Amino acid sequence: MISAAGMIGLAKMSSPVLALPQQDTKAVQLNAEELGKGKQTFEMTCSTCHGLDGGGAMGPNIQGIPFRLGVDAVANVIKNGMSGGMPAFGGQLNAQQIQQVIGYLLTLTRRDEGKITGDAAAGKQVYESSGCANCHTIAGEGGDIGPELTTVGQSRGPNYLRNTILYPGTDLPQSHIFLESGGQLQFLFVHVVTKDGRTMEGTRVAEDSFHIVLEDAQGKFHSFRKDQLRELKKEPGKSTMPSMKGKLSDAQVNDLVAYLASLKGAQ
Amino acid sequence: MKFARRACWAAFVVLVNCPIPSFGQNVPYERILHAQSEPQNWLTYSGSYFSQQYSSLKQINRQNVSSLRIAWMYQPSKPVANLESSPIVVDGVMYITEPPSTVTALDVRSGLKLWSYSPTLPEHIVSIGLYATSRGVAILDNMVYIGTADAHLIALDAKTGAVRWNVHVADNIMGYAMTGPPLAVKDEILVGIGGSEAAVRGFIDAYDAKTGKRLWRLWTTPRVGEPGAETWGNGAAESAGATTWNNGSYDPDLKLIYWGTGNPAPDFNDDDRPGDNLYTCSLLAIDADTGKLKWYFQFSPHENHDWDSTEPAVLFNSTIDKKPRKLIGFANRNGFYYVIDRVSGKFITGVPFVKQTWAKGLDANGRPILALNQQPTLGAGTLVYPSITGGVDWTSPSYSPQTGLFYVSAHETGAYYVKGTGKIELGPPKGIVGGGGIRALLGEQSYGAIRALEATTGKRKWEFRLLSPAWVPVLSTAGGLVFSGSDEGNFFALDAETGKLLWDIQMGHAARSNPISYEVDGKQYIFVTAGNVYMSFALP
Repeated sequence: MISAAGMIGLAKMSSPVLALPQQDTKAVQLNAEELGKGKQTFEMTCSTCHGLDGGGAMGPNIQGIPFRLGVDAVANVIKNGMSGGMPAFGGQLNAQQIQQVIGYLLTLTRRDEGKITGDAAAGKQVYESSGCANCHTIAGEGGDIGPELTTVGQSRGPNYLRNTILYPGTDLPQSHIFLESGGQLQFLFVHVVTKDGRTMEGTRVAEDSFHIVLEDAQGKFHSFRKDQLRELKKEPGKSTMPSMKGKLSDAQVNDLVAYLASLKGAQ
Repeated sequence: MKFARRACWAAFVVLVNCPIPSFGQNVPYERILHAQSEPQNWLTYSGSYFSQQYSSLKQINRQNVSSLRIAWMYQPSKPVANLESSPIVVDGVMYITEPPSTVTALDVRSGLKLWSYSPTLPEHIVSIGLYATSRGVAILDNMVYIGTADAHLIALDAKTGAVRWNVHVADNIMGYAMTGPPLAVKDEILVGIGGSEAAVRGFIDAYDAKTGKRLWRLWTTPRVGEPGAETWGNGAAESAGATTWNNGSYDPDLKLIYWGTGNPAPDFNDDDRPGDNLYTCSLLAIDADTGKLKWYFQFSPHENHDWDSTEPAVLFNSTIDKKPRKLIGFANRNGFYYVIDRVSGKFITGVPFVKQTWAKGLDANGRPILALNQQPTLGAGTLVYPSITGGVDWTSPSYSPQTGLFYVSAHETGAYYVKGTGKIELGPPKGIVGGGGIRALLGEQSYGAIRALEATTGKRKWEFRLLSPAWVPVLSTAGGLVFSGSDEGNFFALDAETGKLLWDIQMGHAARSNPISYEVDGKQYIFVTAGNVYMSFALP
């Protein structure tokens, strides 16, 4: 579970444009100039392995990593390295430069376009009455089948949220798996049929060249060895999340978008 | 006191008369020359001077490999990053390296540590565009040799780990670093160097094995006034790259060393280096005695996708048109598999072994016929196959004399190549001099495969699909097996003839080192690393 205190607050202002709250310390404010320095450092230090967009190359995909692991954890990895190939950059980058790099990394996955037209308080009621909490968690309350939404407003804006509510499979969010292999981070809907005729559908939780683990709509894990499957079908355009198109009015969708966009965790 | 001393001598006599532990190490050149006659050992980085990653041991075979299980494991005292160490095995002792530059001797029966040596490294090691790691040591006579992360070459007593000599090879502060294992040939220790992304100038050095005195240096990029400088245009004054950061091969009959070179600098911005940029992305044939360049073959002239050519060259003998030939097989990062005459350096054939879009093909001399619009561009970049990870990077392929097949862990993926700014500046590097970069394809668009190619033609005989492109070397054995791994942590054995899966285990982390095989007490072992763990497998 991600600590809200370790997450990033995205301030809606021109300068500073990004705030990096630190555990037990005052938030570090990053302005456009510092984000520019972060870009420069990222491209001279990180992008050869992680790609110019953080999407992976020789090293893993790190898009959105600070959102999932927290700023402090990511800063620690940059400073001290980690098993598996990540070198320690503590001798090369000071704490301020590391903050700038993380800030820039966050801008690569910020998708906060669009305008809020609904009412957040009304949207909260839509959220609670539409069964969203059966699968999603906000501030410790709710299910864990879908992505946690406690801070979704930090990285996702109205356009993305509206599209996902209406067409859940078209732009899948990222999961925390496959950091090693890189590039394969999306929540993915999978359909399998075992050699003895059992059928299972769910979201991919883990996969290697010989095994796959799915989570079904009830939140249960199912593990399969691939050579014991008659059929293994990956369906990138699908999602276990039901579309709200036709189930909610336009006004309700706008309110729900406003509510989700307001979720930014602890500031 | 006298009694105790006699008891010790008595114990010593018993030990030397027994067939078990004797750690006196002596590996003269003649033993390495005939490494294939002692398959119980593993005397060079890739098993022999021919770099075939092949073991003639066959106790573990198609019929029984499904019973393979862990025999022992070894872990360093503290977690390590970038474990890419491939061991040397000699007469009951295994020499491994622990990142960044520690050498450790293990008992091959139990995995117990015999000794360990760590050099004193600077507090801050400059490692730009590379990991501060070590892929292994070389052994010659009674010494083992390591190239360090701060670009020193150190000779250690093979029995005790005591330092015999330590020479400064190049300035780490300028970006020079050593990650590849040295190569012992005759009475010389040869080393390559890394640091292309810091815009260093590549070279290969030879040192006297006994004293550490430098015998020769071959610079791998020409400067103004030297042959080949014209291939850099006005950039010859600062020609950089062509680093030599992996291991070489050797043909003792031809007395030629074969060593691959890396990309030019800056990687993705070629504005200041018009021309072919010799001898980047090339295979060099070097006279072992003099260090003179005998011939070169440039796989990717004027390269700007970071497709180094530093994989060890695989030497093999075969027949083409009913004539016996001395050949080299090379699965290049640029996506083509090449067959080259290793006497003359002449191109024989070359075919893509993965999807590639940058060349329409190869001409009669093996020079690529470039496709249009496949160079890095400003802004969003250009989609090119293969990706920066190449068809395969540095991870060793394998050749089996038993099957005549060349086995490679192939990457099927592309990337958007973006051109940026990137000028070479004088003085210590401030970061990567890449001049651009890439954006990888996301999602399920990439995969990996172990592919078996006919070594003389490159024609694919079979493939075994992997979930994602794997940075895992390959081993083939006379037991009819191919061992390799996936990037998701699987380690597995395939039938060398058919590619059928025979055994697999999830290790929790990808293997980055060469799998190797050795035998002790009549028992064959398969050795590999994963994460922080060095481990040997054997039959029950």
